[in-house]
Amino acid sequence: MNGVEALGRRAALLEEGARRAQARALRRYVLVYLGLVPFLFIAVFPVFWMAITAFKTDADLVNPRVFPFWFHQHPTLGHFTYLFQHTYYGDWIVNTMLIAACVSLVTLLLGVPGGYALARLGLPGAENMGIAIFLGYLIPPILLFIPLSRVVALTHLIDTRWALVLVYPTFTVPYCTWLLSGFFKTVPPEIEEAALVDGCGRVGALVRTVLPVSLAGILTAVIFAFTLTMQDFLYSLVYVSVSDQKPVPLGVATDLIRGDVYFWGSLMAGALLVGVPVAILYSFFLDQFISGITSAAVK
Amino acid sequence: MADAELAVGRRVGVRHRAFTRERLVFGYSLLVPAILYMALLVGVPFFFSLYLALSDASVGNQVAQYVGLRNFIAIFQDSTVRLALRNTIVFTVIAGIFKIVLGTLMAFLLVQEIPGKKFIRSLVVLPWTLPVAISALAWKWMFDPQFSAINYVATRLHLIHGWPNWLGEPGLAPAAVIAVNVWRGFPFAAIVLMAGMSAVPPELLDAAKVDGATFFLRYQHIVIPLIAPILFVGLLFDTVFTLSDISIVYLLTMGGPENFTEILPTRAFEIGIQAGALGRGAAIALVLFPILVPVVYFLLRNLRRREAL
Repeated sequence: MNGVEALGRRAALLEEGARRAQARALRRYVLVYLGLVPFLFIAVFPVFWMAITAFKTDADLVNPRVFPFWFHQHPTLGHFTYLFQHTYYGDWIVNTMLIAACVSLVTLLLGVPGGYALARLGLPGAENMGIAIFLGYLIPPILLFIPLSRVVALTHLIDTRWALVLVYPTFTVPYCTWLLSGFFKTVPPEIEEAALVDGCGRVGALVRTVLPVSLAGILTAVIFAFTLTMQDFLYSLVYVSVSDQKPVPLGVATDLIRGDVYFWGSLMAGALLVGVPVAILYSFFLDQFISGITSAAVK
Repeated sequence: MADAELAVGRRVGVRHRAFTRERLVFGYSLLVPAILYMALLVGVPFFFSLYLALSDASVGNQVAQYVGLRNFIAIFQDSTVRLALRNTIVFTVIAGIFKIVLGTLMAFLLVQEIPGKKFIRSLVVLPWTLPVAISALAWKWMFDPQFSAINYVATRLHLIHGWPNWLGEPGLAPAAVIAVNVWRGFPFAAIVLMAGMSAVPPELLDAAKVDGATFFLRYQHIVIPLIAPILFVGLLFDTVFTLSDISIVYLLTMGGPENFTEILPTRAFEIGIQAGALGRGAAIALVLFPILVPVVYFLLRNLRRREAL
């Protein structure tokens, strides 16, 4: 009887303890969420405002008497159709994709062999060469845009999208070579040695064994080549002033303003349509970007 | 017997040396394209900009004359450039402080294990992941003199009186430019810090907890010393990005009103490209160089140290 009573009390105590722990966890969740609310608001509000603006009719946009953060007339796709029918927006998207694809390709053609040589072949001075290449990422475009304008002029690529294909690798190659060399370091050397013993040449060993297991790293490098080109504004502003050759960020920022008039509906539509997919893509790979610049090897 | 062994040894040695040479030739030839490209499109232009800065080169003038330090003397006599230099430094420092404070706060919240953490994280990094020109345009619209969303909210919450023209008033425009820079950069600070925090071994914290160390003691003696180096690296990167960014100021204010938000990058663009004075513009951009050197030095030293580990 006594024993049973004690057991019952024990169970009650345990239950009480569990409830208290649960309450504590719940309180902690609520506190953390409350703390995050202002950050979420600050981070997301401009994007929400862009989206609302992009789908509002012009009359609704400039009506000062209504609550601005919701629709008072039917949402419209007018700004988007305007972009494609009356501006070079379609060209800008094509240019952006083409530039990104070519820059990625150039970056891989230079960065894969470079990163591999730095990481795997025990070259004397490899560390210093790696750092010298990465230094290119730390020399900001603002120091280079004036002298590079002469280089671009020499190649007769000025005012074409190919000028950007020429100059964007100045920041994608150093970053991606560094990143790829980190990836290649993690591939076990035995795989390669086995291939060499089996009579693959050095190139064969690289192509058949190291590249396939580094596909994740190569994909990451492509994503960064793409997102880093999207972050550029200065080079495109200086080297491309012909409307149908511009990439999206430059086109939206310079061509959708006539005189002093900002057409906010179409501006925000054009910004949103490209900005948000790029941001989402980038956010998936953000951790790798951070560990790429804060440490040598990607964990 | 011994002779035979020696001969084999020699042969292996020779083969080994040939093998090593072949490997080195192969390795350096793989590096040639990347190094050549970087030398031609970063190295040469950099030294070319030193040459330009010492010449009177302009867009129309094909034969540039050596003018010594005349460009540098002229730009330091130009009050707009002096203002731009001051603004560049002040903006970077103030924005840096805000980014560290906000980024640290957010990092501490984001490392907590809560449901929906991944989703929340992907939303709060939006300012950093959006292309910078695009978010600068969104902010230009939010600061619109007539339809400012910020004014609408702030006046209704009685945070401000009247209807300030954020980008048009000398007292407000610098604050607006700094605010957008902070908005864009604080998620970067937070993510860098989180990467640092996840490197703190949980056993160490548990052991300290068992030994009776309070929350603050644990942070003071374990977490902060361990994450300080990575926070420093993040700050250095952010400094390079902030010092050299032109898009926020260019798109928001073009340096106005009355040059109150003029920074070195915008001034270099106005003089070097818009006015066509390549030499003078290159000199203005190079004013950033002495500021960048120590920052880059520390960054490279850090990379080398990590590489050595």
